[in-house]
Amino acid sequence: MNDFRSNFHEQLDEVRTGIARLGAGVTELVPRVTEILLDGDLEGAEYVILGDDEYDTRSLELEEKCFSQIALQAPVAGDLRALVAAIKIIADVERSADLCVNVCKAARRIYSHELDGHLRGIIHKCGEQAALLFKEATEAYLNTDGPRAAALNDMDAYLDDLHRQFIQVIFESHAAGNIDLQVAVQLAVVARFYERIGDHAVNIGERTRYIVDGWIPDQPYRESDNDIPDSAETATT
Amino acid sequence: MNRSATRAPYFEASIPMTDSVRAPATAPNEPVDANAPVDLPNRIDIRDLDIYYGDFKAVEGVSMTINPRSVTALIGPSGCGKSTFLRSMNRMHEVIRGAYVDGEVIINGRNLYGPGVDPVAVRRKVGMVFQRPNPFPTMSIADNVLAGKKLNSKRMSKSVAAELVETSLRGANLWNEVKDRLDGPGSGLSGGQQQRLCIARAIAVEPDVLLMDEPCSALDPISTLAIEELMLELKNSYNIVIVTHNMQQAARVSDRTGFFNIEGTGKPGRLIEMDATEKIFSNPTEQQTQDYVTGRFG
Repeated sequence: MNDFRSNFHEQLDEVRTGIARLGAGVTELVPRVTEILLDGDLEGAEYVILGDDEYDTRSLELEEKCFSQIALQAPVAGDLRALVAAIKIIADVERSADLCVNVCKAARRIYSHELDGHLRGIIHKCGEQAALLFKEATEAYLNTDGPRAAALNDMDAYLDDLHRQFIQVIFESHAAGNIDLQVAVQLAVVARFYERIGDHAVNIGERTRYIVDGWIPDQPYRESDNDIPDSAETATT
Repeated sequence: MNRSATRAPYFEASIPMTDSVRAPATAPNEPVDANAPVDLPNRIDIRDLDIYYGDFKAVEGVSMTINPRSVTALIGPSGCGKSTFLRSMNRMHEVIRGAYVDGEVIINGRNLYGPGVDPVAVRRKVGMVFQRPNPFPTMSIADNVLAGKKLNSKRMSKSVAAELVETSLRGANLWNEVKDRLDGPGSGLSGGQQQRLCIARAIAVEPDVLLMDEPCSALDPISTLAIEELMLELKNSYNIVIVTHNMQQAARVSDRTGFFNIEGTGKPGRLIEMDATEKIFSNPTEQQTQDYVTGRFG
């Protein structure tokens, strides 16, 4: 089959690989910021925070590339879906990088506070699952793999469950006097950051499915599954 | 109203054509679901249509419904039979020796190819606008508008003729540009104006359907936009079918789009997919359509 718009389609490929490169960066960033949080690595936190400008710049460049292709090439059908989805996926990736930065800022705030084994374990699990979700989302998008993208929702359900467990462990550690209130609050938002990274990965998966066959979710994109324990009493019962 | 009584003589030459069957004048802007067949006058039903030039089958097995008060665009690569198909809708392809069809084209319950149907009467009800503007070069602007009407009917009074000229030119968005030079030659107008003059000439005979065969391909971008705007206005009164190579034009003006394709040289063209224009240009069902609109074909 002849491709009479090969130049345009090369541009689309460049956008896709550019976004996948950014996504791969976030996939590596998630376990790294988890280590920074657990090790109290201030230098590493500073490095990640400063490095976020690079994500912002690249995201803007990719967005502009999408806009110019829409303006110049009048894309339709699958090409149009690829560009519209790309613009949204760029935002998901860029926001996820911001969330990694937020984990680093939280690491600075709880510096020198000891975390007990339960907390360290659940933080590690959340980081691992969030990174796995992002890796799957990025690879599904890069390979335009609809079935792989469709599995992300179930994987996110596990991260949501870990999020609930994380909150419960925070309540328990605080009730036992292992962490003070400031640390508890910081860890609660960290739990939320991981959970949000998972949601962005799910969004990327859904937008990948949209590229493949125009699929759109039955329900609007959820802000997040925020069904968490609402008090220390819940945690202790 | 007994509609069948109106339908019966629809394309028979012996019956005066002045009793035009029109969509109700009320609520002309009422939205029409592009995909649902509408039970209104001027709906076109095409059933299993094969079109031949002698032994050569140019188009095969086309079935579709074209709703009134809408613009339907036909797209596809060169040689896929879309223009042939368009011409078969007012029997214009029959001017080529040996051309014939198998199947039905039904407008207002009458098969255009049924026994006793006069092709000339069909063309009065189903007007055509061509790729290149073709006003009669020696006629004035006013006489160009009246040309079809004069062929069809008896003498008109000057006042009736003047009114028809104004109504038709206004309908074609040309009145304000030419009202002071109605006696000037039609060939003195710009390309875009000439094409609108041809549209005025087509609507002066009060057709029910307007067929347009790449009406903007010889025009500059501004004239093209003027014609496209005109199509959107005319669809409130006429059933418009347009063949275009400009996919953006199809996307801009049409409610439904049909994609024709051809398997190879010497093979007949087929209708691959017909759906709401938004669907065709955002998420077509058929891979062939997707490939064509995104530039992958051949």
